[in-house]
Amino acid sequence: MEKLTIRLRVNAEDNELSVPPNKTLLEVLREDLGLTGVKEGCQDGICGSCTVLLDGKPVRSCLVLAAEAEGKDILTIEGLAIGDKLHPIQEAFVNYGGIQCGFCTPGMVLTAKALLDINARPSEAEVRRAISGNLCRCTGYVKIVKSIMSAAQGGA
Amino acid sequence: MAEYAVVGKRVPRIDSVEKVRGEAKYTADLTLTGMLYGKILRSPHPHARILNIDTSQAEKLLGVKAVVTGKGDAIRYDWGVFPYTRDWQLFPIDRVRYIGQEVAAVSATDEDIAQEALGLIKVEYEPLPAVFDPEEAMKEGAPLIHENKPGNICVHIKIDAGEVDKALAEADLVLEGSFRGAEEDYCQGEPYAVLASFDSTGVDIWCPSAGPHMKARPLSSALGIPTSKVRVHRIYIGGAFGGRSEIQPVDVIACLLSRKAKRPVKIVYTREENRNCIRQHVGWATQLKIGFKKDGTWTVGDFKTIVDGGAYASTGPIAVSVPYMEMETTYPLKNLRYDGYRVYTNKTPRGMHPEQNRAFHVAVEQHLDMAAERLGIDPMELRLKNAMTSGFTTATGARITSCGFIECVQKAAEAARWKEKRGKLPPGQGIGIACGSVMVGFPMGIRGGSSAFIKFNEDGDATIISGVVDTGAGNESMVVHIAAEELGLPMENIKLVSADTGICPLDQGAYSQTATLISGGAVKEAAADAKRQLFEVASRMLGAKPEELEAHAGNIYVKTDPKRSQPIRRVVINALANNITIMGRGYRWPDIDNDREWVTNPRGQFATTYSYGCSIAEVEVDKDTGKVKVLNMIAAQDCGYPINPMALEQQVEGGAFSSGIQQGLFEKILWDNGQNLNASYLDYWFPTALDVPNIQTVIVTTNDPYGPFGAKEASLAVRMSMFAAVANAIHEATGIWLNEAPFTPERVLEALEKKGK
Repeated sequence: MEKLTIRLRVNAEDNELSVPPNKTLLEVLREDLGLTGVKEGCQDGICGSCTVLLDGKPVRSCLVLAAEAEGKDILTIEGLAIGDKLHPIQEAFVNYGGIQCGFCTPGMVLTAKALLDINARPSEAEVRRAISGNLCRCTGYVKIVKSIMSAAQGGA
Repeated sequence: MAEYAVVGKRVPRIDSVEKVRGEAKYTADLTLTGMLYGKILRSPHPHARILNIDTSQAEKLLGVKAVVTGKGDAIRYDWGVFPYTRDWQLFPIDRVRYIGQEVAAVSATDEDIAQEALGLIKVEYEPLPAVFDPEEAMKEGAPLIHENKPGNICVHIKIDAGEVDKALAEADLVLEGSFRGAEEDYCQGEPYAVLASFDSTGVDIWCPSAGPHMKARPLSSALGIPTSKVRVHRIYIGGAFGGRSEIQPVDVIACLLSRKAKRPVKIVYTREENRNCIRQHVGWATQLKIGFKKDGTWTVGDFKTIVDGGAYASTGPIAVSVPYMEMETTYPLKNLRYDGYRVYTNKTPRGMHPEQNRAFHVAVEQHLDMAAERLGIDPMELRLKNAMTSGFTTATGARITSCGFIECVQKAAEAARWKEKRGKLPPGQGIGIACGSVMVGFPMGIRGGSSAFIKFNEDGDATIISGVVDTGAGNESMVVHIAAEELGLPMENIKLVSADTGICPLDQGAYSQTATLISGGAVKEAAADAKRQLFEVASRMLGAKPEELEAHAGNIYVKTDPKRSQPIRRVVINALANNITIMGRGYRWPDIDNDREWVTNPRGQFATTYSYGCSIAEVEVDKDTGKVKVLNMIAAQDCGYPINPMALEQQVEGGAFSSGIQQGLFEKILWDNGQNLNASYLDYWFPTALDVPNIQTVIVTTNDPYGPFGAKEASLAVRMSMFAAVANAIHEATGIWLNEAPFTPERVLEALEKKGK
């Protein structure tokens, strides 16, 4: 298969890549750019573990072709903290115990960021609705919801 | 409650920052120089003989580096958890017993080539008759899955204690019934993955494993190399729930591919492979007959269960015993009979689950509610009437030490406002209760104990070396927390090296709720030993006797004169300057009867101690659609003592969710002649954040005499009972008794219609 040359802007850095046209954004992020914080959980766009932000909107990177993401700002979990300083949502997940096995965490945190960026004071129902596409098998969601609500209230 | 400096305090788990930054590495994230990608060819038949495998075309494909088959590359080694259950040739040589079983494998320079090569392998099968239903499999004339197992009976557990028939005859009320539970998928976040690197020194392997030492041993046998040449490495694990316990065929296959190709090989499972080719939860059917006195005293029980175990024994003897044993330690009965059968079927081998096994517990707890209704006793009071208490010896001779049964019931009832709600909720709503207990620290043979070292480094920080395994539940943080308390050193000054068979001493792994009691206990011993050594050095520096010293917040000081103190850092340097190494060691074993055996001698102390729990659920049932909505869950857990209350709540909340919602209302594996019909997440019905109510945790403390700082385990007693609380709440809301789990809308609707007629 003939490869395409594409430019992807990931975590505020530009990359030039040569990829087959059928390669997904998930595969390129993990395999070509080494961003393994993007997790592959189900390959069907259901579990939300591979969530990244495209121009601030959460997408399942297993359902997006890498070439489709050209010209967009891509944010993965690796780009969220600034140096040692965690993003307030990350800090809240740490302090309120919104993490167990950690596999769903990157996708969950990015989904929460997308929500709080457009709705700074969501209700609990809005938080639950927003993360309903991110599957967690460990927590029962109690501390995840609490972490996101606390981050929204600036209480991380 | 005892007061400690850091134990009992809410602190973020030590793995939190790595995980929230996306730095935590799981097996699929790893890459080694020269690494190849592996894929496995699987049986399309539920039962067949392998007559011939032709791999010649696959081997010629550009990019293929090795092709392996059971006949060509594996040695004959039948794996079994017990010496008498060795029935599983992990890489089959001539026969397959379930759809998806491993037949051949390829390693290649990329996954696409490996996949293409699978299509070039020609396999000739002779299909054999198959059987999928355990009750069918037990009938005369059913196809035999293992020739030496008549009736396809894999394990039969027989217990007969007290005088069951006499007690049934004398009972004022006898109830009979049955209950069935479907199989469920663990749905770990992380699909299974293995990376193996074989060279002349042995093999290095990374995989999500709840028991690295338990894996290294059979892996060495399957590969024909010494155990010390198998190094299972520590790696983050994306959930286990019972499904990451024993050796998997793919572990052997990855090693064989690496040995043949002389390069590292990584195999990452698809979601469907994680379902079809890794053990899942057993299916279960229970029949019971139980008797009561008029005053509500439960006097006798007679149980029969049939477990659908799939094609191989796996943890069979344990899986069949556990639910019965848990009931025996929950309620103080002396007259009990149990016939538990694990039966072979042509399906993927089945294993343990944190809600092992809901059908049995629902059957028991529903019938307790039925008895309460018939006798005119409040169900909560009926449980208190039949409460287990400390000092009791069970029907099969297990003694109960710390026991918070009564407090769990009382505190859960209070938190749920049981008295105000039971019988007084609006139509369509109901509140239900159930109880549970769980064995903590049970026999696992020569690998049943844990040992630990603690070394002090030149900067004054400590490093724990422990086999403790963290499948996601927080065990790594737990042992650091325990060491911090014992050493008087802040958690951030303690590092952990764990779960690596090349470095760490034996540890039983994250099984049977032993991590806190055994691994944590071993770390506490090692810390106490290191502290003794520190105090000897410090006593010379401070001019005081070692027994006059105390350690706190990184300093050692004289108890009666705290101004005389030295930082631990300086004590360590002083020791080194005097040619002394500070190096603590400790070990812990379960306190059990070692001659007790699951099948041949199911009597005596089978676990060190038992945790207790009470679950209360409030539900609303839509009588038009049959949909059950859980409004509230209250979970009281006797954990012994909470090391980290926040981590404990995580476990209890996750347990209540998994039990009451996932297993109670949603999840089941669908089959058609051994073919899994809903292996993809597109087809499997599971709950999301929208289906879970708020969950209230009630922590009950009993200070277990054997546990480190009195701690036992964190949530299993709730996991064992929440679905039964949901079942009993559905009854209060609707008047129906459901006899099959999960409680899906169609089942509820069907039962409502039947009741209406």
